Amino acid sequence: MARYLLQRVFAAILTVFVTTIAVSMLIHLVPGDPVQIMYAQSQGTTPEQLEEVRARLGLDRPLVEQYVTYIGRVLQGDLGHTIRGEQPVLELLLLRLPNTLVLASAALLIAATIGMTLGFVAAYKRGTWIDTVLMTTAILGVSMPHFWLGLILLFYFAVQLQWFPVAGNGIENLVLPAVTLGLTNAAIIARLTRSSMIDIFDQDFIRTAHAKGLPKAVVLSRHALRAGLVPIVTMIGLQFTYMMGGAIVVENVFGWNGVGRMAIQAIFQRDYPLIQGFILMFAVVVVTVSLLMDLIYAWLDPRIRR
Amino acid sequence: MTGPGMISDTPIAGAPAPEAAEAAETAGPVLSVEGLSTEFRTAAGIARAVDGLSFELRRGEILAIVGESGSGKSVTSLSIMGLIPDPPGRIAGGRVMFGGQDLTRLGEREMQRLRGDGISMIFQEPMTSLNPVLSIGRQMTEGIMHHLGLGPAEARARAIEMMRRVSIPAPESRLGAYPHQFSGGMLQRIMIAIAMSCHPRVLIADEPTTALDVTIQAQILDLMREMRDSTGTSIILITHDMGVVAETADRVVVMYCGRKIEEAGVRDLFARPRHPYTRGLLGALPVLGQAGAVGSGALSEIPGVVPALTALPAGCRFSDRCALATERCRAEPPPLEEPAPGHRVACWHADAAEAGA
Ligand SMILES: Nc1ncnc2c1ncn2[C@@H]1O[C@H](COP(=O)(O)OP(=O)(O)OP(=O)(O)O)[C@@H](O)[C@H]1O
Ligand code: SF4
Ligand SMILES: [Mg+2]
Repeated sequence: MARYLLQRVFAAILTVFVTTIAVSMLIHLVPGDPVQIMYAQSQGTTPEQLEEVRARLGLDRPLVEQYVTYIGRVLQGDLGHTIRGEQPVLELLLLRLPNTLVLASAALLIAATIGMTLGFVAAYKRGTWIDTVLMTTAILGVSMPHFWLGLILLFYFAVQLQWFPVAGNGIENLVLPAVTLGLTNAAIIARLTRSSMIDIFDQDFIRTAHAKGLPKAVVLSRHALRAGLVPIVTMIGLQFTYMMGGAIVVENVFGWNGVGRMAIQAIFQRDYPLIQGFILMFAVVVVTVSLLMDLIYAWLDPRIRR
Repeated sequence: MTGPGMISDTPIAGAPAPEAAEAAETAGPVLSVEGLSTEFRTAAGIARAVDGLSFELRRGEILAIVGESGSGKSVTSLSIMGLIPDPPGRIAGGRVMFGGQDLTRLGEREMQRLRGDGISMIFQEPMTSLNPVLSIGRQMTEGIMHHLGLGPAEARARAIEMMRRVSIPAPESRLGAYPHQFSGGMLQRIMIAIAMSCHPRVLIADEPTTALDVTIQAQILDLMREMRDSTGTSIILITHDMGVVAETADRVVVMYCGRKIEEAGVRDLFARPRHPYTRGLLGALPVLGQAGAVGSGALSEIPGVVPALTALPAGCRFSDRCALATERCRAEPPPLEEPAPGHRVACWHADAAEAGA
């Protein structure tokens, strides 16, 4: 168990480390001169000014030196300042991050509840019309882009019915984006739950549980669901990563003030320090969540727990 | 076809004490399967996996059901347990009499009360037959609590007692362990402990030793005999291993393509197998183009394959693999006859087969 955890933590640190390399090199991956692109929109910047910015960002130094400087700052909690406004990147991100986490968590809750229920029912009723209807709906859900579903919900519930406000950051504003993000992911979870549970229902130990004379409900919950939870929870953990990605789109559709919305603005403004900070933070969140999932996984599966 | 005449079987060594045998005679069979047919709907049509099968299980006896893969042994046991997956399967006819009731007519609730209590079952793969994410203690006590109505502490005590009886060392400390922490042999012991924990009258063991090492196999078979001797539980032992049959069973039913083709006391069957298929299983069949195998005692494979259930031969189902097959065999299915007391066989040329030995 201790060894397993140590392995997971090590893998997590390695992931973040690799991300820092990618992030620090990001600016050089863009074709053309990054400084010129950054300042392309502002009028009247002289070549001297550009040189000055380049020096300030350290872009005139060798790559290795650039990286060492960058990682040194990151380790001290300094993610640099935004190009425009000169605000500290970390502070900006931390201000918005809770909003995104709330959105992604609410969406995950919706997705897991709906997805697992439908998947379980479909598996139990496999081969019947109920299964067909549920899984067809799920395929539609999976193939529906976030922004598309988001716009439909927005139009119907906010504009037509006026049940929810169109934009804002209160709890009533959370419903539509969370449902949008939740529903498309519910479909994915439903499909996985179904295939996991079908696999479990065919296992010998389920037959044993029936042969013991246990009531069906006990066999389904205590034996089947409990065993199926291991792959399903792992998948839901992975799903959280997609949720974070989806949040970027959904936040922009609904004007939800999270990091995703800020990231899109940063991209449009070519605000490299902010983009870098965003990616790094994103990586840290994803890695932390997957570490958490590993813990839950170990707790659920005695073969790992030991 | 299961008249009272068959009780006059030759006495069998290893059978329970004479008093027990007498009790069985007066009390009648514990379980009797009468004309059982179980079908599955498949892409190729209706597959009748068990076709008009009848046999009786006497008190305290170990009845072996043998036959090659696909002969319907597992379907028979699942039919008795009421565990045939429906769809695609269903019991199409016949009765399973147990405790004065026809189990095929019981509702799901009533069957649940019976499973694990009056009739319990163990399976081929002990490694996969226990839930990997639940502790052994949990899996042992749940049935005990459910059927015997015991509280957690009493159920625990009963579980420990059962684990001791199947020789699990230090049972108290093993209750919290998980299946992956045990060997296959130990898990099969635990399965037996679970199956026996609610005092069943019938234990169905579907290939309980097939997945185990030879030495472990013998231990598990010993344990099952011991359980039978101490509790009087009747056992249906499903196997395709004639060695296991010889070592463990009192009586044998041989199945082929869903039908009983021979039935006899174990000694009688081994001394005088009458059906060519049984002789094949025993490795003494005069097989097509394999004359050397006659009487060699080697475990010869029966040539050919089991026909598909949806494309069975018109007459004897064994005819396309049988060295003795004649026109009549291919045209008419042979009826089940009783050429000697307690010895039944379905073959037009049973006498010839015996003479060929
Ligand atoms: N769920 C099912 N659907 C369709 N056919 C089935 C099903 N279960 C069993 N059968 C068929 O019933 C026949 C008998 O199978 P059964 O499992 O009883 O054989 P067996 O004698 O136990 O063989 P083995 O030694 O391999 O365990 C086989 O032809 C099998 O294909
Ligand atoms: S009836 Fe004929 S084909 Fe069938 S087993 Fe007997 S001899 Fe062989
Ligand atoms: Mg079988």
